[in-house]
Amino acid sequence: MRLPRLARAAFRKLSPRSRSALLHRFGMFAPWEGGFDYSAPARSADERIGPPDFVGIGVQKGGTSWWYELIADHPGVWARADLHKERQYFSHMADRPFGPPEVATYAAWFPRPTGTITGEWTPDYLAFPWVPPLLAAAAPAAKLLVLLRDPVERFRSGLSYRLAQGAEPSAATVADAVRQGYYSRWLRRYLDHFPADQLLVLQYEACAADPATHLSATYRFLGLDDHVPAGLHQTVNPSGQKMALEAEARQRLIDLYRSDVGELTRLFPTIDRSRWPNFAPGSG
Amino acid sequence: MAELRAGQRLTGDRAEGPARRVAGSETVARWLGRVPVRFRRAVPFGPRGDLRRRLAGRHPWELGYDLEAPPTDGLPVGPPDFIGVGASLCGGGWWYGLVAAHPGVADRAGRPVGLHYFSHFCTRAFTTEDGTRYHRWFPRPPGQLTGEWTAGYSAEPWVAPLLAEAAPEARLLYMVRDPVERFRLGLDRIAESRVPNVGAAVADVVDRGFYAVQLRRLLEFVPRERILVLQLEQCWRDPAGQLAATDRFLGLDTDRRPPSVATAPPRLPPAAPIDPSVTERLTDLYATDVVDLAALVPSLDLDLWPTAGGSGGPGRARGR
Repeated sequence: MRLPRLARAAFRKLSPRSRSALLHRFGMFAPWEGGFDYSAPARSADERIGPPDFVGIGVQKGGTSWWYELIADHPGVWARADLHKERQYFSHMADRPFGPPEVATYAAWFPRPTGTITGEWTPDYLAFPWVPPLLAAAAPAAKLLVLLRDPVERFRSGLSYRLAQGAEPSAATVADAVRQGYYSRWLRRYLDHFPADQLLVLQYEACAADPATHLSATYRFLGLDDHVPAGLHQTVNPSGQKMALEAEARQRLIDLYRSDVGELTRLFPTIDRSRWPNFAPGSG
Repeated sequence: MAELRAGQRLTGDRAEGPARRVAGSETVARWLGRVPVRFRRAVPFGPRGDLRRRLAGRHPWELGYDLEAPPTDGLPVGPPDFIGVGASLCGGGWWYGLVAAHPGVADRAGRPVGLHYFSHFCTRAFTTEDGTRYHRWFPRPPGQLTGEWTAGYSAEPWVAPLLAEAAPEARLLYMVRDPVERFRLGLDRIAESRVPNVGAAVADVVDRGFYAVQLRRLLEFVPRERILVLQLEQCWRDPAGQLAATDRFLGLDTDRRPPSVATAPPRLPPAAPIDPSVTERLTDLYATDVVDLAALVPSLDLDLWPTAGGSGGPGRARGR
């Protein structure tokens, strides 16, 4: 077993970009990568398929892995370890026809035994403006979840993460990280295709401060009984080292997002701005 | 400069001149440039970029690009007189070449057409010294105008206030084209580069077609009369007329422009076709933005954008 261990150690030493390049050579792709194979996963005899019961749509670096695992911990929720929390299906669909075969393929990715619910959480969906009509066609009854975080903090964390993962160190990557913070701009597109009561807007900072209360609200929204998971306070997919953000640049981003945050709190009065220090009432 | 530089291509970001290289690496860059495309693509996207940056330096749009200007040779420097701000893949490189061919415009060897200067300041403070350093990129003999065209600026929302601060008198040029057509060209670029994270790359392509959103962001900091919005399809149809309008906007003497300059547009590589149902979805996606753009830019001719609501198209943008 010496060689595999050496190979594993060597693999870990590669940069994230070289690691994925190597995996691609062996035909292994992540769901967000172009070559991912969407052939239906195998399912056992007691599993049936159908559109997801819930879909998390955002946001990147907003605590979605943590919240998804808490949801998946509920005995009434089916989440297979071999299926990535981010199905990313619609990320590939901007330039493709989308009809009944695509709807069926999507549904095939949600096997579950009768009596349980299942879903996915792809944080990228929020700022992919082509997704809402497709999602509404493929899963019209799905309950939507979005976990928002102070957009300036999200930007900083998201950009650091993308660069660490090997994204191109370019202005376009920075612009992408900025774009994802226009929450109300993107959520309005979802509200064009889903009724407002089918969308639960959560605030990461509020969930972190009082996970039990907000998790109960999430379970209720999904039609589940109350439940207390063991790992309620466990950190999942932590942020790692964050890049520097100079004070003046921070202020520029606050100014950039201010009107969007204002619109967001008008659309969703449950958003508590005092939990976002960059946008707290009276912070200018 | 009388014409496009050798090696420049027609549209958007690809029309940048050669990027400045790290010291001593020009030979490597030249050598890398000679490697046939199919061999270059044999190296995967990520490692290929890492290798190129290490051996041949960074492109101006890449983080870490050296923002220091080359020596000004004693010429007066100052803020640019005009800045092309976008949109990418809309023929900005072609138009910049035509503008720079005017005898009253000073172009400069060694300065990329697209400097991407402000692109580097999203997470950094922009100091007075940063502004002065920007000005040093624009030496010009007295009496001549000078400028740059960075197609990415309009899609980088942090740029507008910085640009207004560093070049408060500059006139801005913003060239747009049928957003669905732009989307198709953008997709071709993604296919060419074989970038692995497809969704993020496509989102970038889609986002750059929301012209009105970008223009409104600029208008927060720059008065409307200092922005000229050009429509690529009109420039194709009547290059001389549109160029004369551009000259007048920039304060260039239209009589001094040789009549042969406004040549026919360079031939475009055809974009890969997309399914009609996808075109229809994109038309819907852009409809509101196109209506808003038409309100901001009365000279916009929607008949030239069949997929965005012009005659012969689905007509959605008009109907709303």
